[in-house]
Order: sequence, then structure tokens, then C-alpha cells
Amino acid sequence: MNAFINETGAELLKAMRAIEFLLPTLVMPMSFYALFGVMLSGAGKNAIYLLATYGVFAVMGPSIFGFGVGVANERDRGWLQLKRAVPAPPLAYIGAKLLTTLFFAATALLPIYLIAGFFGGVELARGTWVSLFLMHLLSVIPFVLLGLTLGFTLSSGGAVAFSNIVFLGLSILGGLWFPVTIFPVVMQKIAIFMPSYHLGELALSIVNAPGEHTPSTNLMAITVMTLLLTGLTLFAWLRQR
Amino acid sequence: MTITNQPSPLVAEKLSHYFGKKRALNSINIAIPSTGITALLGANGAGKTTLINCALGLLKPSSGDLRVLQGKAGTQAIKQQIGVMLQDADLPDLLTAREHITLFSTYYSNPINIDELIKQCDLIEFADTRYRKLSGGQKRRVQFALAILGRPKLVFLDEPTTGLDIDARRVLWNTIRELSSTGTTIVLTTHYLEEADALADRIMVIDRGQLIADGSANEIRKVVSGAVIRCESNLSISTAEQLSGVRSANRSGRYLEVVTNNGTETLKELLSKDPKLSDLTVQKPTLENAFTQLINTPKKQSTRSNQGELA
Repeated sequence: MNAFINETGAELLKAMRAIEFLLPTLVMPMSFYALFGVMLSGAGKNAIYLLATYGVFAVMGPSIFGFGVGVANERDRGWLQLKRAVPAPPLAYIGAKLLTTLFFAATALLPIYLIAGFFGGVELARGTWVSLFLMHLLSVIPFVLLGLTLGFTLSSGGAVAFSNIVFLGLSILGGLWFPVTIFPVVMQKIAIFMPSYHLGELALSIVNAPGEHTPSTNLMAITVMTLLLTGLTLFAWLRQR
Repeated sequence: MTITNQPSPLVAEKLSHYFGKKRALNSINIAIPSTGITALLGANGAGKTTLINCALGLLKPSSGDLRVLQGKAGTQAIKQQIGVMLQDADLPDLLTAREHITLFSTYYSNPINIDELIKQCDLIEFADTRYRKLSGGQKRRVQFALAILGRPKLVFLDEPTTGLDIDARRVLWNTIRELSSTGTTIVLTTHYLEEADALADRIMVIDRGQLIADGSANEIRKVVSGAVIRCESNLSISTAEQLSGVRSANRSGRYLEVVTNNGTETLKELLSKDPKLSDLTVQKPTLENAFTQLINTPKKQSTRSNQGELA
């Protein structure tokens, strides 16, 4: 337990000191939401809709970059190898990184909620706010797994490039920036394969945003994807040892 | 060397390890002495690091037997009693030495007090500087501190001074000697003969995954003593081998290379046999010469077993 607490402390310190890395993942979702969700669309319906999807976008950054780039870098420099040679509790490192990611995910979400509530005219029942927050936090899981797979597979340089591609690809193709309904049909078909799309849809159904929602289908899809990603992560982890 | 009844902390029997088709350890038999500093000496790629990584549980040997502190390599119980400095392991840049040590101290059941360790390893000046800003030598000292933090019985130092300048190397040598004087068994790998000579009570030479020589620094040095004479000459190899003191002779192109026990005598005879020889150099034998020498010598492996009563 002591090791886990210290490990989490170390992860938080590292993340805070890499501020140049952290800042974009925290500031970008907030400013995008303020711009597209509130200022340009004049609040109201769009503000609710984009609150749901930008929330997913906000937690994606810390998950994919924290795990993708972070793990790749520390694996590259032999740090993970050293950890395996010493009596470090094997899961403490991953657990600590996960907790750190949740902390920064919450930090990225909060300003978006505040903007939505104070400037976007979004009014939700207290219970709905809580459900939405939990939904957004849980969205971390598939992205963390994706990040881990990248981190275990790529060199630190490759991980930076790939994480960016994955991050932007999932955001746009998953309809987190603009609703997929305004996309051509082909792209709507592609969206079905994006975990970000299903997470966005689930968040949308929680806030009861305009449009048709089929949460049970989305839940099924994201569960299957998460299981697949778990398998992929384990495979990448075993292969890198 | 004093003979102790303590069992060897690291025993490998017919241990092999393959990377794909490449054989890194070739049925090696080794028993590390239970006290003092043992140097595993060998060229890059000889199998030293593979042996250490097997002992740490990082690699699973392809075949053979390996006992570490009378236990199985890689278990948490064994890891508690081992300290390690890996060859290419760098610590995260953004934490300070003190933070690294604090984190690692939570891994061990009986760690050295953090402030004491910082003092002992001479880290005070830069204990609160981020790792990224440290010099190469300072980084190694932090890694060394992590290696001894858990009061280990056995410490592995894999190429501890590679890439360091001579001053930084000396500082680390002193720290290693101090650690040895407290009774910790140390196994270090190096490809510097000089380093093995300066530190080790026992030197084990590893080549192509096998133990090819084992003895005190003096015993090993004898094999490597003498001189290497290189010159442009038409003398045949067989003639060169007849000269007094010559251990081996080789030819590469127009050049003749002679390894000898007695440089002066050999040189005199060489000059009288071939007055026309030119482009002459005389050098101390390199480790490579020693290896050539050791490999060419028919197997006289003096594996002095002191493993006690091991099952």
C-alpha cells in the first residue's frame, strides 16, 4: 500500500513537472468547448450536445498521452526493466498511472462543466451531472488500454507521433468535435468502429441530447471493444518483456 | 583467497540462453564466490549481461540450472536480497535523486535510511536536483544508491562505469570497494581489463557464452602479460613461432603480429632474422589478444568450485 501511494505521488510529480506536455491536454478541450460549444453556437442545444462529447474528448488526452508516451518513454530508457528486477509490486506502477490519469481527467472535465453551466445555459439535474461525470471518468478505461498498447509497442518517438494520430483520429471520426450525423455516410459507418463514438453516444443519452440514441447497443459495442483492447494490451505487454 | 563454507550466491550449471538462433549463453558452468568482488570480464556480446539478466529473473534461461541465493531467480523473496545496477537503465528525468530513493525504499522490507544513504553515496550536493540535470557520473551514483538501498546480500553491477570519464570512474570504484568491505558480495561485469584488475578479487572471463578463464586478477594478468609486436615482414608464421617467448603469431596481409611473453628478447631475434622489417609497433596486449590466447589454449578450465553442499 505504501509503495502504491508513493508510486502515485511520483507519477503525479512527473506529470506536473511535464507541464508543457500536460497543459495542451487540459487547456485544449476546455477552449474548444468554449469556442464551438458556447461562443459560436450561441449556447442552448449545442452546448448540451457538445458537453457530452467534449467530455469524452477531454479524458482522452491524459489517457492516451499519459500511457502511450509515458510508458513508451520509461520502457525505452530501461526503467521498466529495472522495476522488474527489484521487488516493486508489479501492478503498482500501472495502478498509480491510472489514478494519475483519473486525476487529470477530472481536472480537464471540471472547467468544461463550469463553462457549460455558467455560460452555456446547460441545466441538468444534480443526479444527471453526477452520472455524466462518472460516465466521462469511466471513458478513460478503453483509452488507457489503447495507450498502454502503444506504450508497450512503440519507441518513445514513435509513441508521440502515433498517440497524436490516434487522439485526433478518435476525436474527429468518433464525432466528438462535430456530430457524425453531419458527416458523409461513409464516415458515419467508420464511426461505428470507434470507441470514442460509442462513449460519446452513451454520454449523449445521459444528458438526453437531441437525436436518436440506443444506449444498449453502444454499451455492448464498447464492452466488446474494451475486452478486445484488454487482450491487445496483454499481448503487447507479454511481447515486450 | 579465504575458503569459506558459505554456499555460492550464484550457481549456474549447463545454463544456456538463446535469442532466436543466437546462443548468448552456451551451457555455461559458473559459481560466484560467496565473498568479495567478482568481475565477469568479456567483450561486448560475450554473454555477461544475459547471465546477469537470467540471475535477476528478467530472462528465462532456455535450459540448464540456475540458483540465486539458494533460491529461484526472480521471486520477490530473492529480489529483496539483491541489488542491481542495470547496463542501460536510466531513471525518469523529472524526479530528483531523493524522490527516486524514497520511491524505491517502499519496495524493500528493511531499507537504509534515506538521509543516511544520500550521505553514504555522496549524493548530498545534488540530492534535490532533477535527474535530467545530473552528469553521467552523478546519474550512476544515484543508480548505485538504488542498488544498495535494500541492504542486499548480493549486488549486480552491469557495466557500472561504461561511458564515464576517469575521475567519475575512480569515484565509483571507491564506492564499490567500500560496499565490498561491509561484506556485500558483488558481481560486476566489465569489458575493461583495467577495471576488473582494479576492483576484483576474482575474475571470470566469459567468451561466446562460456567461461574460459577463472582466477585471481594476478592469474589472469599472467595470461595477458607480455607484448604484442606488429610489423611489416616477410617472415613465415612458423618461423615467427620459433622465436623465444612467442605465444602465438598471426599474419594479416603484409603484417605479422606476434604475441610474446618477452618483448625484448623476441624483438631482438625478430630484427636479426629479418633486418628489412619495417613499420614496427610494440604494444601491451589488449583484452582481445588475451581472448585469442585464452580461446586458443586447450580447455584448462580451472572452475574452482566452492559451492558447498548444494542440492
